[in-house]
Amino acid sequence: MQGKEFWIDFVRTFFMVTTLITMVFLVVGPILAPEQTFGYQVFSAPLVYALVGTVPNLVTYSKRELKVKELLLRKVLQLLLIEAGVTFVALYGAGEYWHQPHMIATLLGSIFFVFVAATLISWVGNLLSAKALDRELAEFQKMNE
Amino acid sequence: MEIKIFKVGKEKPEKVEIHCHEMTDEVREIVAFVKTRQGQLTGIQEGNQFEIAVTDVVYVEAVDNKVFLYTQKQVYETRQKLYELEELLREKHFLRVSKSLLLNLMKVQSIKPAMNGRMLAVLKSGDEIIITRKYVAELKKALRGGS
Repeated sequence: MQGKEFWIDFVRTFFMVTTLITMVFLVVGPILAPEQTFGYQVFSAPLVYALVGTVPNLVTYSKRELKVKELLLRKVLQLLLIEAGVTFVALYGAGEYWHQPHMIATLLGSIFFVFVAATLISWVGNLLSAKALDRELAEFQKMNE
Repeated sequence: MEIKIFKVGKEKPEKVEIHCHEMTDEVREIVAFVKTRQGQLTGIQEGNQFEIAVTDVVYVEAVDNKVFLYTQKQVYETRQKLYELEELLREKHFLRVSKSLLLNLMKVQSIKPAMNGRMLAVLKSGDEIIITRKYVAELKKALRGGS
């Protein structure tokens, strides 16, 4: 993806992730820490996590079209950067509660699962579209021979 | 430039004659247009000009302000611009599949997914061309007879 298209996608992803993280806080918060109370600064948490989750998208930016293997490699790097960023925020920016190893492991595991699942779902969607296009291409070529 | 059109009988061949003071880029453009309409493109290789059948061209690519015609085995440079060729070759089943590439859909073997909403066109020669996300919709339209 290049230029303007990349940045539109970047901003869209940032706001989407912010919304999703807010929803996760709303659902998971009362289950994991029902007694926890927060100040106004809690409103910054989804923004910080979304930024940490979105900025690594920059490694997939390229002025030329990337080959599949190159993009795959950059996706792995993107995942590693997200994991590193989230770990950093959990250790130095979040409350004591997140400093426990099992909490960080759960967080990293969840990110890995969501990232891989999202990539796989997108891949399957692409695969179905490609198969449909392949059938249409065969018909098109037969018709125009 | 004055334009005259004469109707001829079916027994005579149709022809285009250009009377010019000198061979300018404008004249070359007109010649290239007529040739393309007749299913031919002019390619340059090592200073020599070649007539190439449009049906032999697999794809057309713009690289560093130069435009190249790729056939199964040869690569030729052309003086025509990519946008001009896009317009002229549309009826010959060529489609823009990325910012710098026109692909002959008749030379595509299959289509595969290529991550991030992109597609990969596997050519009959075995080469692979990326169809960017922006142009996947155009491809769908073209295959369904929309262009």
